[in-house]
Amino acid sequence: MTPITPAHYLVLSAALFSIGLIGVLVRRNLIVIFMSIELMLNAVNINLVAFSQQWQHVVGQVFALFVVAVAAAEAAIGLGIILAFYRNKETVNVDEITLMRW
Amino acid sequence: MSSLLSLVIFLPLIGAVALLFISNRDGERDGLIRQVALAASVVTFGATLALWRGFDPMGPEFQFVERRPWIPIYGIDYYIGIDGISLLLIVLTGFLTPLALLSSWGSIKKKIKEFSIFMLLLEAAMLGVFAALDLFLFYIFWDAMLIPMYFLIGIWGYDRRIYAAIKFILYTMAGSVLMLIAILGLAFVHSSATGNYTFDLLKLYELKLAPTTQMWFFLAFTLAFAIKVPLFPFHTWLPDAHVEAPTAGSVILAGVLLKMGTYGLVRFSFPLFPEAAMVFAPWLAGLAVIGIIYGALVAMVQPDMKKLVAYSSVSHLGFVVLGICAVNVQGVSGAVYQMLNHGVSTGALFMICGMLSDRRHTRLISEFGGLKSVVPKLTAAFMLITLSSIALPGLNGFVGEFLILLGAYRWDWRFATLAASGVILSAVYMLWMFQRVNYGVVTNPKNEHLPDMSTREWWMLGPTLVMAVVMGVVPNLFLRPMEPAVERMVQRVQAGQTRTVRAEPGAAGTQAFGPADPEARAPRP
Amino acid sequence: MDNLQAIMPMLIVTLAAAATMLAESFRLKDERMPLGGLGLIGLVGAAAASILLWNRNTTSFGVVQSDNFALFINFVLVAVGILTILLSSQVIDREELPAGEYYSLVLFSIAGMMLMAAATDLLLIFLALEVMSLAVYVLTGIRRTDAAGTEAAFKYFLLGAFSSAFFLYGVAFTYAIVHSTRLEAVALAVAGRSDVSGPLTWLAVGLLLVGFAFKVSAVPFHMWTPDAYEGAPTVVTGFMSTGVKAAAFAAFVRVFLSSFEPLRGEWVTVLSWIAVATMVVGTVVGVAQSNVKRMLAYSSIAHAGYLLVGIIAGNASGKSAILFYLLAYALTNVGAFGVTALLATRERPRGDLADFAGLWHSRPVMAALMTIFLLSLGGFPPTAGFVAKWYVFGAAVQEQLYGLAIIGVLTSVVSVFYYLRIVVLMYMTDSRAEYEPPRLTATGLATLGVAAATVFYLGVLPARVIELATRSIDTIF
Repeated sequence: MTPITPAHYLVLSAALFSIGLIGVLVRRNLIVIFMSIELMLNAVNINLVAFSQQWQHVVGQVFALFVVAVAAAEAAIGLGIILAFYRNKETVNVDEITLMRW
Repeated sequence: MSSLLSLVIFLPLIGAVALLFISNRDGERDGLIRQVALAASVVTFGATLALWRGFDPMGPEFQFVERRPWIPIYGIDYYIGIDGISLLLIVLTGFLTPLALLSSWGSIKKKIKEFSIFMLLLEAAMLGVFAALDLFLFYIFWDAMLIPMYFLIGIWGYDRRIYAAIKFILYTMAGSVLMLIAILGLAFVHSSATGNYTFDLLKLYELKLAPTTQMWFFLAFTLAFAIKVPLFPFHTWLPDAHVEAPTAGSVILAGVLLKMGTYGLVRFSFPLFPEAAMVFAPWLAGLAVIGIIYGALVAMVQPDMKKLVAYSSVSHLGFVVLGICAVNVQGVSGAVYQMLNHGVSTGALFMICGMLSDRRHTRLISEFGGLKSVVPKLTAAFMLITLSSIALPGLNGFVGEFLILLGAYRWDWRFATLAASGVILSAVYMLWMFQRVNYGVVTNPKNEHLPDMSTREWWMLGPTLVMAVVMGVVPNLFLRPMEPAVERMVQRVQAGQTRTVRAEPGAAGTQAFGPADPEARAPRP
Repeated sequence: MDNLQAIMPMLIVTLAAAATMLAESFRLKDERMPLGGLGLIGLVGAAAASILLWNRNTTSFGVVQSDNFALFINFVLVAVGILTILLSSQVIDREELPAGEYYSLVLFSIAGMMLMAAATDLLLIFLALEVMSLAVYVLTGIRRTDAAGTEAAFKYFLLGAFSSAFFLYGVAFTYAIVHSTRLEAVALAVAGRSDVSGPLTWLAVGLLLVGFAFKVSAVPFHMWTPDAYEGAPTVVTGFMSTGVKAAAFAAFVRVFLSSFEPLRGEWVTVLSWIAVATMVVGTVVGVAQSNVKRMLAYSSIAHAGYLLVGIIAGNASGKSAILFYLLAYALTNVGAFGVTALLATRERPRGDLADFAGLWHSRPVMAALMTIFLLSLGGFPPTAGFVAKWYVFGAAVQEQLYGLAIIGVLTSVVSVFYYLRIVVLMYMTDSRAEYEPPRLTATGLATLGVAAATVFYLGVLPARVIELATRSIDTIF
């Protein structure tokens, strides 16, 4: 069985990041878009931990913990904003947002 | 060092600030405001005359010099001074502003305070442009002059004023920002050659630039000035701006603002970049001659008096550019003299158009006719100014155009010949317009009871009539101060031809014009 | 303790924020408390701390370096903060916004911005970025009952979080190459090793660039700006457009001009294209706008483009030009948005161009103030905006970047067109009979007056501040 090298983790995190990226671009539901963003952030976490493991360096893991905390704060705020929006417009579908053009 | 020059520049500004404090919410103090504004401009004119009195033509190149460090890291100083050329243009500005203000008393009825403030701000900026010897300072005054003019046209102008004002400001700015890049480039080249930054004009005169660099910088500077002059084909903003501007605005626009373009050519484009100038001079002269003839032809078919005068400006200033391109003492003196002439006579022409439109609220030539029997004094003054404009010997226009044609002939007889045809054309359109307006029977009943010139109108037109005659009969009075400056400019441009072409260190530190090579001393035939 | 000195300014602001929140919780319903005053005290304290720290180059925990560069940005941020707080009180009363939360969010955001300017570690930059951004997201949507406001907030939030993820990915790759997140380590690694220019480096630099480009609203990552600026309460827009830019550009300069400097050849071309696109799009699309806030948003984008020119020039003048530009721009933009904010009323919160019609006749002082700010945005002498543009383009010319400079000045001229459109409306049309614009309060007049006066001061006597800016960059590079 091939040993698990950091390259594997890189590929995994790249895959997760791409899935998240595509999710943000393609999905219509605000909550799902937000989930995809969280997925991207966690993909980066995997990356950080993998490199931290490779050189027995603790900074990467510390950084990953910080990211988790930040992501949690972001989630709180993001969901709050989405909720406020929902109260005004009764929809969480991106297609129905026409108040301001690009 | 004397601060007279700074005082001259900032007197109008002080006047404008003083006006700010006079409350005039509903126009109850209009009269007071007008008087204060007029007083400020007259005092400024007096100060410019004091400058003339104190100017010594045989003295150093630039007099009344003031220099204070401003942004030392970049070698920018508050550096002003005048030579013969700028002195006369400053006096012209001081002379025309009170007259323009007087001409506004009849036509501007609302928001007098703001109008006067903008006029005074404009005057301060114009005086600054002529006095600045630091390129950064020059650029600041140059751009600063745009804002009051924009407001003057846009608020107090006629029907299409907003379009004309925006066209004016965008067109002029587009040219001047390219000049800004060239100014920055000059400073940078100087710093890479000598190790320190400077925007000091005299030091930059010493700089020897590579031919390609010269060419680009010359084009950038000249584009900005060509738009201002206006040189064909960059003249399209002028007819709109002139027609839509209020009378006072047109007087200042034609009288002073257009001169800034030609002044820029004399002060900056030609002496800073001599080789490029000589390369492009024939092209510039060609455009000038085209402008002379084109302007005259288009003027001939204009139904609107103001537009006719506007195109005549294009034509007249083509002569000025031609004189500058000749780069000899006659040509350039003629050009500077013609700058003064044009200020006086075209300023007066616009004042007369203003007087006629104040009475009848129209500028169409066809609406008039036979005015000689109704307003004989106005017609007489009109006649004098018309003759001055078409360069009748004995009046100011003749001296200027004669010198220019002489200088141009010495340089290239073809340009001179073509330009001379412009003299004839100008006679055609001006006299024809004059005839249609003043001679014949009174065809339009509305013209039958027009009032003749009032005291105020005499005060405003009178000085220009006097100047037209004086400048025609005693030209030396005006030629003497400008002679050394013109000679120096011509020498600079001609000496620049034989200099070795490279940016080299060691030129910094010499204040006055350095000695030219001996071979360059031989004057051009 | 020596360690805390460098973070004194941020600590003071954070304490003020916490105090505001605390005070708010003790406030009885309908009791009027000068919560803004707490914020002002905090900001003034931070400014005082910054003055004391000047030229001392202190470091805290190895990751926060309060050098002159960061302290200059602190001064800019304090100025923005004070102006915003003073202008906000009228808006809070009018729209019945939650005052305590509002002020504390502003203060937290400023603390995040100060930290971002002083951080010398990528992790800390990320944290500060998030602190600043999260507060600003909430401020954008603080008018909860306004559909456009909440829409703006979530658009900003989604795209902001999206770009933070990119930024983070870039940091991860940098960590991969350098084995550390400290900026000095990155600089050493990038300069020293020759095998460093590979796909990982490209990815790292590219992703970091995307992250920064979003925050400063560079094209093509500018899509959030018009909506966010239009939907947010106008005072918040003024705060966002200036403070966030200042902090983001500060970090941008630190990361790209000190750590990734040796790799200049790689990223300078891409950045040049971005800068050109930003300047052009900001000006051209701005011309078509009919809502003042949207138009000012596009003007913001264009100004980001000019600031990017400073980064591309990358020389000493370029860096100090960026500092000066940020200061000039901050004062001018807060002023412009401030006037727009004070003109809006309950019934007309949108900021349409029509609000300005005939303003000269009804409110000449406001019209004059707005004109000064617009002229500064357009780069007319003798205002701060002109000196700033001259400074930045001068730096570009120094590096022979004539093309960029020419595009810069020409887009400036085009932008004058839409600034003048407001001026035309104010001065050259008649006022609307049915609509009486609100009067300027004493605070509003004083605040905007000081801003306008400083704009003139910087335009006429910039030597002192230019010198300060020049000396500020010596300490980091």
